[in-house]
Amino acid sequence: MNKILLTTRPKHDYTTHYLFYWASEIIKLARDKGVSVLDLKKKRANRKEFESMLSKKEPLLVFLNGHGNADCVAGHDDEILLEAGKNEELLEMKIIYALSCKSAKELGPKSVGSGALSYVGYDNDFVFLWEEGKISKPLEDKTAQLFLEPSNCVVGSLLKGHTVGEACRKSKQLFLKNIHELLTSENSSEIVPYLMWDMRHQVCLGDRSSSF
Amino acid sequence: MADAKEKTKKDEVKKLVIARLEVLSSDKKISIGSSGEFTKEELIEHVEKEDSIGEKITEIQMEFLQSLKEDVFYEQDTSNNETKA
Repeated sequence: MNKILLTTRPKHDYTTHYLFYWASEIIKLARDKGVSVLDLKKKRANRKEFESMLSKKEPLLVFLNGHGNADCVAGHDDEILLEAGKNEELLEMKIIYALSCKSAKELGPKSVGSGALSYVGYDNDFVFLWEEGKISKPLEDKTAQLFLEPSNCVVGSLLKGHTVGEACRKSKQLFLKNIHELLTSENSSEIVPYLMWDMRHQVCLGDRSSSF
Repeated sequence: MADAKEKTKKDEVKKLVIARLEVLSSDKKISIGSSGEFTKEELIEHVEKEDSIGEKITEIQMEFLQSLKEDVFYEQDTSNNETKA
C-alpha cells in the first residue's frame, strides 16, 4: 500500500458544491505534507477511474465526498462508485473516510469484512447548514464551517500522523466544541441539533489503531 | 382511546418541531444528503405533511431533546459509536 491520498469530489448540486471546496482544504494540507494526492474531481469522480486508481495506485487513504446510502457511495451525477456486495473488496488494506450519508451502516461493515483497515463514516444522513449568501464562497461560510471543519478533522488528523481512533475522537471533540460555543452564544443555538446529529452518527469501524 | 392519545402526542411533537424550526434564520439552508437543500419554510411544510423529510427533521430534533437528558455534552460521551463492527 502506498502513502497516497485518493479523493473523490463530485460537484453537481449545492451539497456536493460545498463538499468539493471544503475537501480542497484537505488536498492542500496533504500536498503541504508531501503526500501524493489523486484527486478525482467533477466528472473524473466516476466508477471507471475510481476503480482503476484504487487497483493501480493502491492508495492507503481514501476520502470519499458525495451522496450515498446504506450500501453505496456515489460520485459525479450520483454514479455509484462503491457498492456493498459489488466492489468493496477494492478497499482492502485501506483507510476510508466517507463524507456521505448512511454508508457506515452497510457498506462500511462489509468493507471492513472484506479487508479494509478502517472505515469512518456516518450511519445516518450527514446534514449541514449553509448560508445562501455564501454559495459562491463556500470556504467563507461560517455556518457550513461548523460542520465541515469537524468533518475535515478526520482526514486532517490522519495526515498529521494520528491513528484512526484518535482522528475520530478529535473530530467529535471539534463538533462538541462548536456545540458548546453555540449553546453559550446569544444566537445560532438552533444549529446545535444538527451538529449533535452528525457527531452522534459518525462511526469508526475496523482497526482504530491503524494510521496513514 | 389509545389511537386518540397517540394522535395527540404526535400533534404535540409536530408543534414542538415546527416551533424549533421557526427560530432558524431565513438566510440559512439545510442540506439533507441526496434529499436536497431546504429553507426553513420548506422544512416546516414537510413536517406538516409528515413526509420522509418531515420525519427526518423530527427525528433530528427529538434525538437532540433526548440527548439533553444523557450528558452527551461532555467529551467522554462523544466516543459513542466509535467501536462498532
